[in-house]
Amino acid sequence: MSNALNKKRDFIEPSILSALAFLKDATLSEEYANRKGFLQSLDPRLKTLSFLAFLVTAISLKSAVLIGTLYGFCFIFAILSRIPVRHFLVRTLLFIPLFSLFMVLPTLFSIVTPGEPVCSFHVLGLNGIITRPGLDGAVLFVVRIATSVSLVVLLSLTTRHSELLKVLRVLGVPQLFVLTISMCFRYLYLFATMVENIFTAIKSRVGVVSHHRHGQNVVAWNLANTWNRTTQMSEEVYMAMLSRGYTGEPRLLRVFHATLKDWVWLCCALIICAGLFYRGQIL
Amino acid sequence: MSDIIFELQDVHYAYPGKFPALCGVDMTIRSGEKIAIIGANGTGKSTLLQLLDGLIFPHHGQVTAFGELLRENSQVDEKAAHRFRRRVGLVFQNADIQLFCPSVREDIAFGPLQLGVAEEEVGRRILEVAQVLDIRHLLERVPHQLSIGEKRRVAIASVLAIDPDVYLFDEPTAGLDPLTVRHIIDFIVNANQRGKTIITATHDLHAIGEIADMVYVFGQNKRIIMGGTPDSILNDRSFLEMNNLVHIHRHHHDGREHVHQHLP
Repeated sequence: MSNALNKKRDFIEPSILSALAFLKDATLSEEYANRKGFLQSLDPRLKTLSFLAFLVTAISLKSAVLIGTLYGFCFIFAILSRIPVRHFLVRTLLFIPLFSLFMVLPTLFSIVTPGEPVCSFHVLGLNGIITRPGLDGAVLFVVRIATSVSLVVLLSLTTRHSELLKVLRVLGVPQLFVLTISMCFRYLYLFATMVENIFTAIKSRVGVVSHHRHGQNVVAWNLANTWNRTTQMSEEVYMAMLSRGYTGEPRLLRVFHATLKDWVWLCCALIICAGLFYRGQIL
Repeated sequence: MSDIIFELQDVHYAYPGKFPALCGVDMTIRSGEKIAIIGANGTGKSTLLQLLDGLIFPHHGQVTAFGELLRENSQVDEKAAHRFRRRVGLVFQNADIQLFCPSVREDIAFGPLQLGVAEEEVGRRILEVAQVLDIRHLLERVPHQLSIGEKRRVAIASVLAIDPDVYLFDEPTAGLDPLTVRHIIDFIVNANQRGKTIITATHDLHAIGEIADMVYVFGQNKRIIMGGTPDSILNDRSFLEMNNLVHIHRHHHDGREHVHQHLP
């Protein structure tokens, strides 16, 4: 009983450490981007452009079947890029599409979307009627979300973050903005590691934080300490930038090499999008 | 033409809201010299390097660099700032501060690009410095994935790519394994043989015989309390002990415990 109570109270540290681990895994892990696969071998600029075209197609199409076809392409690209199927499915189908399903749940019923009834049921004295337009709209919404999420996940899994940031520059995003984001990414890992180390240090001195009030103090102290260190480090980093000639207008490296294969890929991607649009108009 | 690079006269500096960091430093540094700054923690060594790099400015006294007074407003002018940055490079103690770009290649390129070097030339320099410091295999890596020794070498590469006349090193060998320490000492010695001026703040008394011809010792009063050749400083053991620069070292020889001062 007391163990269960302690476990219940000891939620702060595991929650923070799990959040940090997820942050590192989701935003900073380049395990799949470093693999030798199909999408990894493409020029990041043309790859991003092709994925933008796929995204626009997924958002514009009004047929769940055609959008599902696009998801099928995503799935094939994931396999060709040596991304484990289970990992890809968990990241693309489980959370965001599931939440979107909850969001559209009310639109299934005749009270929100009137139309031809598909099925009806009686629960707690209430009559529920699911309509054809409601069902079609909900399926379209969820498939669109799942496909869009898959495209974004696939792009971020198969491209190094440094390259994605460089692509932003090619797309006309100001260099200062890109530099700021890249520095955020760079120091996110450092501060996540720092917070983990602080928890380890606390544990080594006082054992497990078992009371929520003590835990709140630890978190508050941690926030203040991290804030202080962040401020101090930002000043030092600025000095390091000045020391190497920064005067407020950053100049950054542009190194990309597009080959024939990259252009062929872009053409294929555009043909797929055009084909889906064409089919969408016929349907 | 004078070969004096830096001239410090009665330099005082205090961090906002903190105790003074430097209290009346006088120093002259000439072209091609190898200088070591030693002293216990908190004696102002890192502050001195930041002053020499034009990152902070004295509250009292003056610093002259290459015959010109180093003032805050002289760094506002981009051309003047770049002229100075091309000649002086600082390797920070904490490599994580110096490596702020998303990849090693971009970190090495950052300095030359800011200073207006053409991209083709920057590409050539990246490969050259990566060869010198044996970090070619790290070029596409993300800085946070590197070991401390690798980060330190990349930090040096990021300054070497600028090819300055004066290198300022802040604790370049602290916390590194013996092989990496050897590489860094060799790099410093070679750079000096190529005519570069080297100023190193360090606690590593074992290294100063190689990395310095002249040693300045900073005391708790935040000023230079002794200056001389490495031999003259290292042989004055009572002075080193008094200024917290040596410690008693306990170890075993042939199964017998042995205690002595830890000195090179």
